[in-house]
Amino acid sequence: MTEPRIAEELEKMESEYEPLLPVERKLIWYTFSTGVVLLAIFVLISRWFV
Amino acid sequence: MANLTTTLDQATTPSQGDAMAIAQTRVTEDWLAVWIGLFVFALSLALLFGIDLLGWAITTSIWTMPSKALGPASKHFANLPAPLSLAATYFFLLVVLLVGAKALRADLKRFAAAFTAIFIVSYACWFLGSWAYIAATPDKRPALKIAWSLNLTNESGFIIALLAGLVVGNFLPGVARALKEAVRPELYIKTAVVILGGFLGIAALEQRQLATSVIFRGICAIIEAYLIYWPIVYFISRRYFGFSREWAAPLASGISICGVSAAIATGSAIRARPIVPIMVSSLVVIFSVIELMVLPFAAQHFLYGQPMVAGAWMGLAVKTDGAAVASGAITDALIRAKALAATGVVYQAGWIMGVSATVKVFIDVFIGVWAFILAWIWSAKIERRPGEKIRVVEIWQRFPKFILGYVATFLIVLAIGIAVPGLIPKVKASMAQANLFRSIFFLMTFFAIGVLSNFRKLWQEGIAKLAAVYVLCLFGYIIWVGLLISWLFFHGVLPPILKG
Repeated sequence: MTEPRIAEELEKMESEYEPLLPVERKLIWYTFSTGVVLLAIFVLISRWFV
Repeated sequence: MANLTTTLDQATTPSQGDAMAIAQTRVTEDWLAVWIGLFVFALSLALLFGIDLLGWAITTSIWTMPSKALGPASKHFANLPAPLSLAATYFFLLVVLLVGAKALRADLKRFAAAFTAIFIVSYACWFLGSWAYIAATPDKRPALKIAWSLNLTNESGFIIALLAGLVVGNFLPGVARALKEAVRPELYIKTAVVILGGFLGIAALEQRQLATSVIFRGICAIIEAYLIYWPIVYFISRRYFGFSREWAAPLASGISICGVSAAIATGSAIRARPIVPIMVSSLVVIFSVIELMVLPFAAQHFLYGQPMVAGAWMGLAVKTDGAAVASGAITDALIRAKALAATGVVYQAGWIMGVSATVKVFIDVFIGVWAFILAWIWSAKIERRPGEKIRVVEIWQRFPKFILGYVATFLIVLAIGIAVPGLIPKVKASMAQANLFRSIFFLMTFFAIGVLSNFRKLWQEGIAKLAAVYVLCLFGYIIWVGLLISWLFFHGVLPPILKG
């Protein structure tokens, strides 16, 4: 099976936009906020205890 | 990390079968690197029993007279002429890699011919990079009787090898095709990383507290990288560039985590078509080369006072194993040279590269876990597939096996040193010999990365939009957040100071 060229793929994406689902928004938000909270915790641990 | 040779070869016409081949080769090449690395490591350890099995290996000093540049590594082989030492090193690597090539089901004749060319060009680059006017640091100039030098250390040979590879990859397509069988940067770098484990084990033995601190901070840094990089890149590519989920997830993993392997693992986790991770991987390699040529020099200029920050930055910002560890090696050399010239401080070699390698290795360790999480979210929440179960064993299947070799050599050296401290000097001498082969594998990695980086071909494929996301996220976000995270965890942490 021959697959399409990348340029054709990208054109197709523009015409068939998939909106962000609520679950994707949650994934983005939870991952990022967990990262920020852990950043603060890890920095404190690495400065004080290691 | 997946096989770049295959990945880039398939960049124009990928298919399902190609993806299968990538997966099959990946496992084999991963394990192969472990065995080759452990083999060299084991031979070097024979020194502990008074047997010098690798002392004939070639070493290159910084030179002003070419005739005095080369020589065997060990004094036991002091009478061995340099050309014979070089030939022995070549034949040893040829035989070892031919065994590996047979395991990979490569064409052995073509592999032997291509490897010979790659070895010759790579070592010639190393030789050129060791020319005193290029390599000498200011403290070496009086002994070499030269008034000036570029202060690049002999690791400049890596850059020269990369440039040579780029010339071949972009202007000599016939030569690049002829070399294809042995252009295997991932095999070379993984083997080098396995050997590097022993070298870093020595460093850890000498500075246990610092090593513990580096490992802990490395783990913290990479958790941050996953959690802070990925969602933003995913969001930008979905929201502002209109990429579909199938493209955005591998792209986010490729840009954020560890390039090729992460893109392929994610593509497989979310059941993307093979073309997606393959194109993302191609882009990752191209930009890794750009980063490799820019970031170490930026780090030398701005971060020579914070060398460990610079090392972690390379590990967090440069997106393939090969380019990341290679960037760490160059940064190590450049920063030590700059620190010496600017402040008179001599840092112990290897620590900056060690941080880069540590950060990169931990990033690789978590790829399987991240792919597992994404696979679960995709199958359970985004594209619900009734009855489908995600197996925990997939974490192991996606685990980059060469890391086991790295951990093994690191722990063996550490265990020997702790159990019998009197053996530490001999272990050090052993690792110095193994390190010669690590440098050669590094060199061939640089050359091979250059050969694979065909900028023009990828541009013709129409990757402008993908490249735009990559440029925006990498240079507008990842690099700076990586620097911030590196700074937060590593500022004030210095490598052992030998003088100054």
